[in-house]
Amino acid sequence: MDSDIVLVIVVFAALAFDFTNGFHDTANVVATSISTHALTPRVAVAMAAVLNFAGAFISIQVAATVAQDVVQATAITTTVIFAGLVGAISWNLITWYFGLPSSSSHALIGGMVGAALAAVGTSAVIGEGVLGKVLIPAILAPVIAFVIGVLAITIAYWTCGRLRPGPAARGFRLGQIASGGMLALAHGTNDAQKTMGVITLALIANGNLSATDFEVPTWVIVASATAISLGTYTGGWRIIRTMGTRIIKMDSAQGFSAQGAGAAVILASSHFGYPLSTTQVIAGGVMGAGAGKRVSAVRWGVAGNLVVAWVLTLPAAAAIGAAAYGFTSIFGNGAVGPLLVSVMAIGLGLALFARRIRAGQPVPQV
Amino acid sequence: MIAVATVVDWEALLDAAVASLVAALVVTLAASTAIYGAATFAEAQRDERYGVAAMAAVLALVGSLVVAASIAVGLYVMING
Repeated sequence: MDSDIVLVIVVFAALAFDFTNGFHDTANVVATSISTHALTPRVAVAMAAVLNFAGAFISIQVAATVAQDVVQATAITTTVIFAGLVGAISWNLITWYFGLPSSSSHALIGGMVGAALAAVGTSAVIGEGVLGKVLIPAILAPVIAFVIGVLAITIAYWTCGRLRPGPAARGFRLGQIASGGMLALAHGTNDAQKTMGVITLALIANGNLSATDFEVPTWVIVASATAISLGTYTGGWRIIRTMGTRIIKMDSAQGFSAQGAGAAVILASSHFGYPLSTTQVIAGGVMGAGAGKRVSAVRWGVAGNLVVAWVLTLPAAAAIGAAAYGFTSIFGNGAVGPLLVSVMAIGLGLALFARRIRAGQPVPQV
Repeated sequence: MIAVATVVDWEALLDAAVASLVAALVVTLAASTAIYGAATFAEAQRDERYGVAAMAAVLALVGSLVVAASIAVGLYVMING
């Protein structure tokens, strides 16, 4: 009975993480379309929400990676998964509060690994999976998106550079409707699947699914798709209010190239089961499209922040995940610990949210 | 210590990189060609250069079809992969 209560808490925590993921990442998905006036903010956000929902149904390769290639499903418990989620959500909230560009995906993997290490030890962590399926692709993907961004904008300028600016800009704005749509679809595909993977892992740990032969249940896919879609929609309204202040400036050809680069890398990686940081891939595409026009046009300080986030997120989320497990286990293996931590986490989250709103919301950067 | 060379599936990583590179560049080239064709078509028609306008229309059409086909193939591979 207690384990079922913990499972329900884990499912809600995972969906809450999924919601914050959509909320957090809306800016990345819609910023380029809005800043070039390819789409109005309302249409961009509504389209992103719908396509994030649809994207979650395209593939389950990433979900399978999260469920079976990061931690030993048979060695961990639902309490460990809960602690990992607390690590990820807490780190997301902290970085949101301080306006740091962070990756929800790295926070999730870091939290899970930290909690598993604290609970079981190194034997619970699949080193090969973490390195081969998470860390190396995480480092390479933004670089590949950057290179594609440079090449794509070079092709676009080479082909349409002699056209009068008006017709070319209109054409690329039209193209951005397609590339922005693909980017939203790609985001839904890769990011919603991480939550599906965590819930599936919890179902395996709780004995509801077999560790060796499992399928992601349909209700998990629908719930994850709905949560990320609602988060995207909610986050989008926050962005609409803050648009036009510090958002990136680029022409429509750059917007098209950046979105195309990001969408291609995320979709191809999802197909091969790599859980990427979509934020960093999109940022790589944007910087590539900027650097392809003029190297000094890129805000290299943002690139530096991304590198810092790369280095910090995994260990920080892991440390919080481990601490959350340590605190939870004080109350034994039952539901008391997770319930208490949930209440504390909700209280902390609300306090940070209220304080941030009073101090003025940070504008997300791409 | 895990040897990076042995635990990373470099072939799959390379496949993902090449697939994303080819997809993005093909779509960008096709879309740019479609935009070039459409803009040239409008200009040539206005100047009554109907031969150029017809060629530009073909370019715009082919470019648009390649974009649509690339997206459709990509989605098909994703869904059925």
